[in-house]
Amino acid sequence: MRLENLNTVDANTLLKELNASSSKLEEAEAFLKLKAPSKKSEAYRYFETDCIVKKDYEIVTPKESTFSSDKDLIIENGKVVSAPSSVTVEIKEFTQTDKEHFDSLYYLSHIICSKVIVISINESLAFNIKHILTTQKDQLLSYRVVVLTKANTHSTIYETIDDKTDQSLVIGGYDITAAKDATVNFVTDRNYSKSGCIVFSNSYRVEENATFNLYTFDYASNNALTLFRAQLQERANFNAKHLLYTRDKAKSGTVSQIIHRGQSSHSNQSTKNILDDNSRGIFDALIKVENSGKYTVAHQNSKAILLNEGAYMASKPQLEIYIDDLEASHGSTTGQLDKAQLLYLQSRGIKVEEAKKMLILGFANEIIDSIDNKEIAEKVHASFETAYYGTPKIECMQTCDTCL
Amino acid sequence: MSNKVLTIKDLKVKIGDKEILKGLNLELEEGKVHVIMGPNGAGKSTLSKTIVGHYDVEVTGGDITYKGNSIIEAEPEDRALEGIFMSFQHPVEIPGVNNTYFLRTAVNARRTHLGQEELNAAEFLKKMRVLIEELGMKNELISRSLNEGFSGGEKKRNEILQMMMLEPEVIILDEIDSGLDIDALRDVSEGINKMKDGKRSFLVITHYSRILDYIKPDYIHVLKDGQIVDTAGPELVEQLEKEGYAQYEEK
Ligand SMILES: Nc1ncnc2c1ncn2[C@@H]1O[C@H](COP(=O)(O)OP(=O)(O)OP(=O)(O)O)[C@@H](O)[C@H]1O
Ligand SMILES: [Mg+2]
Repeated sequence: MRLENLNTVDANTLLKELNASSSKLEEAEAFLKLKAPSKKSEAYRYFETDCIVKKDYEIVTPKESTFSSDKDLIIENGKVVSAPSSVTVEIKEFTQTDKEHFDSLYYLSHIICSKVIVISINESLAFNIKHILTTQKDQLLSYRVVVLTKANTHSTIYETIDDKTDQSLVIGGYDITAAKDATVNFVTDRNYSKSGCIVFSNSYRVEENATFNLYTFDYASNNALTLFRAQLQERANFNAKHLLYTRDKAKSGTVSQIIHRGQSSHSNQSTKNILDDNSRGIFDALIKVENSGKYTVAHQNSKAILLNEGAYMASKPQLEIYIDDLEASHGSTTGQLDKAQLLYLQSRGIKVEEAKKMLILGFANEIIDSIDNKEIAEKVHASFETAYYGTPKIECMQTCDTCL
Repeated sequence: MSNKVLTIKDLKVKIGDKEILKGLNLELEEGKVHVIMGPNGAGKSTLSKTIVGHYDVEVTGGDITYKGNSIIEAEPEDRALEGIFMSFQHPVEIPGVNNTYFLRTAVNARRTHLGQEELNAAEFLKKMRVLIEELGMKNELISRSLNEGFSGGEKKRNEILQMMMLEPEVIILDEIDSGLDIDALRDVSEGINKMKDGKRSFLVITHYSRILDYIKPDYIHVLKDGQIVDTAGPELVEQLEKEGYAQYEEK
């Protein structure tokens, strides 16, 4: 199966080729309209698409089976291994796909997955999701997770990936609904493998008066992209903070659309990117304020530090606005480490290499320390330091009184 | 004759295309307090930046020797490890870098350089707590990001805290007294006085005689237009206060 070949067939043939049910016709049509990713696709213009569309893949589908009860939700190659008893987890069909997504792979993965993992959150709680990925050469794995929250609940999800994929393609993603008056904190902490290609394509619905706080921490030395579309209803809040650290020849980052549909909704999206070697960071992010989105407040910001001449930041914050009554801003900066800060550290006897690392850690810490849940923040500190130094190094960065 | 710790000889320094220091001569004696006064823009901060190896400055002539060796080519961190410390006129803010973590890294780098054992977290904190108390620093400042959002006076106190923790041998204080309230000036001055041990040398850059009521100077130097144009005892301060720097107008 070569994904670029799907562009030329009709919707029914597409479903047949992918062994999908005819109930996915709408998704198939949406896919064909958007077409498989290529250099010409808006959503994939900065990404490496050859590993997606120009390779012959064998589609592997997760086998359905029973799972045990554990404190963490563990998903191995798309199969639920265990789940916490505090949430309801079901493997079932999902029909309420996002009809306006901008990403063809969002639809493709919904077509491939006849069933998805549906997590229903009925009370306020916190839990972890661990993905284990071990797909091998030429395998294409697709699986999806749906998170449904009940009105007025407050949940915190901390997601990690144990990524051991090798020359494979994983297309996954979440459909998350933050119900009316609910709060969802979603922290994702991903240290990608050196040779897999991963695309997560998500859809977030933030209902009336709900708050969705999204944190993404991505450490990549290969190709890994996250795309999401967030749709905000009246008085909804959407806060997204992204930290990206790339090295080698990675192309990685976030492609997003935040849609202000309801009145008085607020969004704030900021990204920090640390780019080393010959890697490319991507922040291709649109904020769209629709006619109905009066009194929107929308802010967007991107900062990048290039650690190497070969590194490159593709930063495209964009605002598309159809009304006057709003407050909006966006900005983007790319640069090197601050010379004055570096000198200050050196002048206290800290070697320049160490001083640079300290500044980079500081740059990252600004995002990590803004996570309300301190237990999760500690874990993210450790994961960033592991990705950056190779080991968790800093025994104490911020909570000195407690950890010293 | 007393020992010269730091000798600056015929120093010429450019910033950008502009010559700022124009053949400056100065010797710091062991255990002594040297004060530099001089008009705005004379080159006082440039001199201190040159001693610590700031990237702004380009040395085009002359030499600086510390304990007998030229340091012109040395990296800023190596000068610091060898015992040279400067408190910045305008300390930078470094968001995300925890003040305590930074200072412990710096202190242990210096200790390692001196062949001493590193301080563990508890030892370090114990030592630091005593000093922040003495300096009248707010406790929370040490767990915040380095200088971020600190008031002017808090930044200066933080510079002094670093000085006391690092125990340097040559201490350059660039307008440490500017922007300090009366209590802060006293706390900071007491901190500086505690560092006097008969061996450490001080280079105090100031515009005001106020701080000299606390820190008794041994020498007053006048820096004007890139050169030291006068050197005298503490009595010079009073005369400068009265007459300003007009007496040094080029003839
Ligand atoms: N980075 C720079 N770029 C250009 N000119 C500079 C720079 N730094 C200093 N200068 C210039 O060098 C001269 C000396 O500046 P310096 O800061 O050494 O003066 P100063 O004696 O410390 O003055 P003050 O008493 O106001 O602190 C000034 O004319 C200043 O404008
Ligand atoms: Mg100055």
